[in-house]
Amino acid sequence: MLRKFPTPRLHCLGPQRRAVHLGHLPNSRSPLVPTLSFFNSVTGSDEKIPTFRVLDGVGKPVEGAQVPEIDEAFARKLYENMQLLPTLDTVLYNVQRQGKISFHMTSHGEEATIIGAAAALEMDDEVLGQYREMGVLLWRGFGIDSVMAQCFGNQDDTSGKGRQMPVHFGSPKHHFHTISSPLATQIPQAAGVGYALRRSPDRRSRSIAACFFGEGAASEGDFHAGLLLASTIPSPTLFIARNNGFAISTPSTEQYYGDGIASRGPGYGIDTVRVDGNDILAVLAAVREARRRTLEQGRAVLIEAMSYRVGHHSTSDDSFAYRQRSEVEDRKRVDNPIVRFRLYMESRGWWDAAAEEELKARLKADVMKAFKRAESLPRCELGELFTDVYAGEEPWNITEQRKELTQLLKKYGQVWEPWRTELGKFKNGGEGSDAVGCLNR
Amino acid sequence: MLASRRLTSVPFASLIRRNSTAGSPPPPEGHLPGVANSQLLRLTKEKALRTPGIVWNDDESNAIVNIGRECRKMNVYQAVRDALSIELTKNDNAVVFGEDIAFGGVFRCTMGLSEEFGRERVFNTPLTEQGIAGFAIGMATMGHTAIAEIQFADYIFPAFDQLVNEAAKIRYRSGGQFNVGGLTIRTPTMSVGHGGLYHSQSPEGFFMGAAGLKVCPYYICSTLPTRRLGLIFMEPKILYRSAIEQVPIDDFTLPLGRAETLVAGADLTLLTWGTPIYHCETALHLLADPPPELAPHVPEGVRKAKVELIDLRSILPWDAEAVAESVARTGRLVIVHEAGMTAGVGAEIAAEVQKRCFFAPRGASEAGNGLGHTERIAICLFPLHPAAFNHLLAAHFVSTVGWVLGG
Repeated sequence: MLRKFPTPRLHCLGPQRRAVHLGHLPNSRSPLVPTLSFFNSVTGSDEKIPTFRVLDGVGKPVEGAQVPEIDEAFARKLYENMQLLPTLDTVLYNVQRQGKISFHMTSHGEEATIIGAAAALEMDDEVLGQYREMGVLLWRGFGIDSVMAQCFGNQDDTSGKGRQMPVHFGSPKHHFHTISSPLATQIPQAAGVGYALRRSPDRRSRSIAACFFGEGAASEGDFHAGLLLASTIPSPTLFIARNNGFAISTPSTEQYYGDGIASRGPGYGIDTVRVDGNDILAVLAAVREARRRTLEQGRAVLIEAMSYRVGHHSTSDDSFAYRQRSEVEDRKRVDNPIVRFRLYMESRGWWDAAAEEELKARLKADVMKAFKRAESLPRCELGELFTDVYAGEEPWNITEQRKELTQLLKKYGQVWEPWRTELGKFKNGGEGSDAVGCLNR
Repeated sequence: MLASRRLTSVPFASLIRRNSTAGSPPPPEGHLPGVANSQLLRLTKEKALRTPGIVWNDDESNAIVNIGRECRKMNVYQAVRDALSIELTKNDNAVVFGEDIAFGGVFRCTMGLSEEFGRERVFNTPLTEQGIAGFAIGMATMGHTAIAEIQFADYIFPAFDQLVNEAAKIRYRSGGQFNVGGLTIRTPTMSVGHGGLYHSQSPEGFFMGAAGLKVCPYYICSTLPTRRLGLIFMEPKILYRSAIEQVPIDDFTLPLGRAETLVAGADLTLLTWGTPIYHCETALHLLADPPPELAPHVPEGVRKAKVELIDLRSILPWDAEAVAESVARTGRLVIVHEAGMTAGVGAEIAAEVQKRCFFAPRGASEAGNGLGHTERIAICLFPLHPAAFNHLLAAHFVSTVGWVLGG
């Protein structure tokens, strides 16, 4: 049993509701009752929606919990990917501080949520992320070089040719839809992606859409639109809310009044579960079961993964302006998702200090190698500034803008030092494309 | 590529005499009085098959051959329905959805489609425009053809973020890895008989700056431009029933981004799109032969002006080349649209034309005396309420045209 509590349903409102039954209104299955009674719970009691957990804070299976079946190799893969996240984050964070990349968002504190969910999905389930889901791509073999290329926006950036801020990854090969900065826009899109899968003969009953978002994004209208559509139309879409306690500086207590994000699931009539997001085995089990239900029902399912954002929101944020440093340090010490799983692995005899040391050294070396490579590569050709706006024939207004830039560069590109320096950062020194190829003509 | 069929126009004299005297009430969305008398309608098979730019989709070797093709008399909503039906028949990946779509849509554009193609492909959505747009985008990123309806263009704004930040930018932001080429948003637009404030707007200008979208503000389509585009297709709702033309029954497309000259002229370029095409036609009759009340305000010289009427046909991209070519000849431009003038489509066009034509040589028609430039440009706002197209507003048009002509 993965769920130790009854499915929250509005009809579970207490015995008095069922005592007198006066039939139904024509357009509703709601029983008519003579008692005026308000309700404010989806659990049918004063209890908050419970949180599913498998491992306790020191990596021991809690009493009554069924540990999901994993073998040593799989556990090692989980752990390595969990560890890769902070290794990458630390380097990218520092690289941003050195001014070599413009921005970064770390996954500190959410490693179990992201890797656990990634591991429970099939490799070709379509993933629509918010921005803190780099771990899904790592799990799927996107590679550290591709991560670095995107963050540096260099010529190897297949995610977006250097057009987006760092961490805006995307890869059709890895079934990972390109991240966009506007929050929650991916949520109704995920409903459409799910519907497309349902309509594709080769993927029907086999693939789902999985959509990640934060508890802050769940305040956007697009959240409601997406869950409404995926439940009503319906479409096989799994919604995974990462409730990490903060939307930039705003704590979740100021984000909503209700019982988290999970309480909203029953409002859409969909199966919902809240899970301890710092417990990778709980996340793994919950997402596996949620995925099964999503496919079986062909309808939306909602997971709320509870964690704590240990890192700052981004490199543009200093979270100690709105929370105590000690609070963060305490949380890191008391409930570190990586440590929790390492302790479990050690208890199984799958891990030890030597393995830990070897892994950390190896990951760091891999990341540093990729960083140095990415740093040395030029940006895409400057002419890419104007491509991919439309398919097919380029409209006249874009052609005119290409020509205008070409003329400007011809006139000032080599005589004005700031431009000359900047042009040198592009592939072929800013030349070599249709747009600016006539620089030296 | 866009498929289409142009709509109607109104001889003004007949409009004033016949206006609102009919015995039967107008249809719920209203109609444009006198539209059936327009000289611009394609009422014969020959005219329909000769629509400029038409390309047949059935056989590439046969793409421009008109012989043996048939037409059928349709109004706009029937033509839209026909186009949707063709796409659903030819393309298994195509779906049609939106609010009230399954029973045929509030403007009847999807009538019978859910019965014919099933509820999996033609279906209702809950009332959520941002959701409809997002859902359609999601399907399109998977390579499917998503044809979504926003029930009124006035209600497209909740979807603005999805359309401008997502649909328009997906190809660009993903380095070409993802696209929404299969996305089409259809939405009824412009004035209507009793539409009032929130059933009459023309929001095309808000999308004009969204590089990555294509915006086509009207036309009947006999096949939808569903391939490799991200398109907002705006249908003038008052013409759904009013405009009846011969429409080819074969699958065809018309080019996006190409204007069409409806009436050739040498003295002034009159540029418009959508419903006001027919107001313009009416106004031109009025200009040439003003009723007694207006006659004192219309100098003889103005009455003889040869006005070139251009149908812009597409807002983004728009046919700057054709418009500038015309203005370079006439030296004068009047732009007519229904939406507000400030920072609207007309303002954008006026600026571009001024840039292109400021030093353009003046056409031969005007004495042919060498250097000239665009003498005057005006944007003329047509009324939101067609019933208000009365002497006063006609006079506004006449005075604008008169001013531009220097009369």
